Amino acid sequence: MLAFAARRLAVSLALVWVVATLVFLVIHMIPGDPAELLLAQGGVAPDPALVADLRERLGLDQPLWTQYATYMGGLLQGDFGLSLQDEHAVADEIALRLPRTLELVATAGLLSVLIGLPAGVLAGLRAGQLTDRILSGIAALALSIPVFVIGTLAVLLLAQKLRLVSAGGYVPFATDPLRHIGLLLMPAGTIAFGLAAVVLRVTRGAVLEVLEREHVRAARARGLPAGAIIRRHVLRNSLTPVVTVVALHLGALLGGTVLVEFVFNWPGLSGYLVRSVEARDYPEVMGIVLVVSAIFVLLNFLVDMLYAVIDPRVRQG
Amino acid sequence: MRRSLRRLVLPAGLLGLILLLALAAPLLPLADPVRQNIAGRLALPSANFWLGQDEYGRDVLSRILWGARVSLSVALAATIIAAVIGTLLGILGGYFRKFVELVTVRLAEVVLCFPPMLLALLVVTLLGPGAGTLVVSLGILFAPAFACLAYAETLSARALDYVTAQQALGAGPGRILLRTLLPNIAPPLIVQFSLTVASAMVLESGLSFLGLGVVPPSPSWGLMIRGARATMEQAPLLLFWPCLALAGTVLVLNLFCDRLRDALDPRAGGGGPAGFLRRAAALPGPALRKDATPGLLRIRGLTLEITGPRGPVAVVRDVGFSVAPGKTLALVGESGSGKTLTGLAVMGLLPGAVRVASGEILYTSRDGATRDLLRLPEAELRALRGRDLSMVFQDPSSSLNPLLRIGSQVAEALPRAPGRMARVVELFRQVGLPDPEGRARAWPHALSGGQRQRVMIAAAIANHPRLLLADEPTTALDVTVQAQILELLAGLKRSEQGMGMVFVTHNLAVVAQIADRVAVMYAGEVVEEGPVAEVFTAPRHPYTAALIAATPEGEAERLSAIPGAVPQAWAMPAGCRFAPRCSEARPACAQTAPPLQSIGPGRATRCLRWKELA
Repeated sequence: MLAFAARRLAVSLALVWVVATLVFLVIHMIPGDPAELLLAQGGVAPDPALVADLRERLGLDQPLWTQYATYMGGLLQGDFGLSLQDEHAVADEIALRLPRTLELVATAGLLSVLIGLPAGVLAGLRAGQLTDRILSGIAALALSIPVFVIGTLAVLLLAQKLRLVSAGGYVPFATDPLRHIGLLLMPAGTIAFGLAAVVLRVTRGAVLEVLEREHVRAARARGLPAGAIIRRHVLRNSLTPVVTVVALHLGALLGGTVLVEFVFNWPGLSGYLVRSVEARDYPEVMGIVLVVSAIFVLLNFLVDMLYAVIDPRVRQG
Repeated sequence: MRRSLRRLVLPAGLLGLILLLALAAPLLPLADPVRQNIAGRLALPSANFWLGQDEYGRDVLSRILWGARVSLSVALAATIIAAVIGTLLGILGGYFRKFVELVTVRLAEVVLCFPPMLLALLVVTLLGPGAGTLVVSLGILFAPAFACLAYAETLSARALDYVTAQQALGAGPGRILLRTLLPNIAPPLIVQFSLTVASAMVLESGLSFLGLGVVPPSPSWGLMIRGARATMEQAPLLLFWPCLALAGTVLVLNLFCDRLRDALDPRAGGGGPAGFLRRAAALPGPALRKDATPGLLRIRGLTLEITGPRGPVAVVRDVGFSVAPGKTLALVGESGSGKTLTGLAVMGLLPGAVRVASGEILYTSRDGATRDLLRLPEAELRALRGRDLSMVFQDPSSSLNPLLRIGSQVAEALPRAPGRMARVVELFRQVGLPDPEGRARAWPHALSGGQRQRVMIAAAIANHPRLLLADEPTTALDVTVQAQILELLAGLKRSEQGMGMVFVTHNLAVVAQIADRVAVMYAGEVVEEGPVAEVFTAPRHPYTAALIAATPEGEAERLSAIPGAVPQAWAMPAGCRFAPRCSEARPACAQTAPPLQSIGPGRATRCLRWKELA
């Protein structure tokens, strides 16, 4: 098990390095000088002196490999450079905002598994019956409504018409725990709406597939009651595809909470990213993309570990 | 028309309507979607403006239809780019492998490492917002998924015989890829295409909603929602229309995908609810039979049906035989003759697609009462399974749950009591497993096929069953292991007093070794039954005779094969089912279906001419 974990960890670290290099290359290989692009306002060619000054400040005047070495050296020390807009340390801003996004994603993931998993098992066991048709119908509908539509409609209905909750915002947990959770639940619930539908569909499919397996028939031949068959022979065997899909979606959400953070004014990492994209703040964009990708890779590593916990065959392979 | 195709009509029609409306937008008498009219700000629906006017007084209906053009064309263009690039990379990588695979498929996998929204934002940073950027970034985003899919499909298709044949005929790679491979991997790619259109629409509208996609004043559903957000308290309808258009279109696309997948892959779907959640018996009527003479197992007139394209089809017809306590009956026949289904019917474990049409399966339990298993409610039948009735299946490697330790799975068969694990170890010793204590804690994958089958047998005999059904228990094993398992089963007949056994096999040599009586099945019917020695020396049905002649035995001079194949269940001959392959057939055989007739003490045959042939 330990050897397996070490091997997977090494692969993950290598992947992070590849991603970091790729991000560096993409930014530096595209045609056009970032310094010129930054200073160009409305198609007016910028003052060459200003461009040269900025190039020097960004280190763009040095050879590519020197820039790469500086960049990698900085990364190893947790230094993502300074923002071009206000010269803030990018790492500090990420450290402030990342936990908020992670909290949002984790809550949404938890909610969607809590709703989607039991509903999916039920739909799978009752496949073709009324229960399944209703659940699958709701899931199909939920999957088709984009997340920002759900969020906007939720704000309209729950906050503005019914006045049940506030429209959005953020209060630190330490300041007011109850209000913090209340404000967290709206965006998290919005994400979970669609994600629970995904979990439901995957779980249903997995349960249907496992039900056809011969070991379930063999367990029935041993006279096991229905409850024990579901618990021991269906549920756990259905989990692997569910884990895969949930992890994949949680990973995609790391950058995909943009819309929800925007709708609910949640000051997470994604809003920061949109702001950086709008301002073409390269150090910020690079830093955020890198951190998110690294977490994505880490998530995949954790999923591999989870497979090993679920399935004894993985531990050996 | 197939049902799955019929179900495709509705979403396909709706999708066509949406496309038509979007295409026809310039031809329809619509107001200019960008002309502002401050006097009509936030006006409600009226005769001139059917859906009302927006925050600049523009016509909402016109903006929705023109917005459909923008959203759909961006989504379609991006998807086409992604499909062409991705499929090309995947096919090349899958066909040429090695270095090409490294630069195509592995590169695609690295792109997949980025969260999609993040990648789109990265591209927008580099190229600036706008419809063109959207098409490029969405194209890059979705191409890897096509590449991986095309790669996997190509890998499985290139090994197929007809591709190899083309190579042998000297066709160039270009011709093979385009003319042979592509059409064969097309169905999953088509499904992926429509899925991607839906995803691209969602992403496009999301980016436009953020103000990073389509640039105003071009109408786009995402932009319309963004605009309506500011005034949604006064004019909620304004928010509602673009939301409805967007969610409705995505819903239709998703529905189309689901149904398309069903139509392209007929195996998917169907099934029905899990069998073990059923409560009713297979057939209605009282289960307890006081009038019946006791005997271990007697099957009469068992008919099993599946639903074919043209109504019900009998896969097992009028099957009957009996098993006495302590005796072994062998059920013999070719693959597809209905042997396994008959065994599963006794256990009440038939797959959902197979229905019991008629018949009775009488079983006398330990208390002396005789019950019809087909009319026994599931709860009572379950109580018999694993205690009175046991079954060993064909493939031991798939009969064990890979995620549970062996001992714990065998213990399931035993009543909850202290010392359960000790009993499991004892059972393992009885079936000849080496290191029984260690095996009890092992995972299924750590055991060989023969050992797994010993485990399955241990679970089956855990409660000293009165009837053991063994469904080709040696077929999946190595020849040397087969003999050991047969020996084990023969030994059990001696040690388990009074246990009857039904041994399903297609191997006549095994029958002679283990069985007392034999029932020969052909095309869902029992064609001959009798004591093994008598049937083997003097078969009374041409099929039995042909089977014996086709079995390699000692120094037989030559083997004879039976010409032809077992008829399909939905194309059964009207008369004797074996007549088309029978060397002794006469015209009468093709007209009347012969009944199973008794031809002496304990012997029966389903042949019209048995007397002449004797």
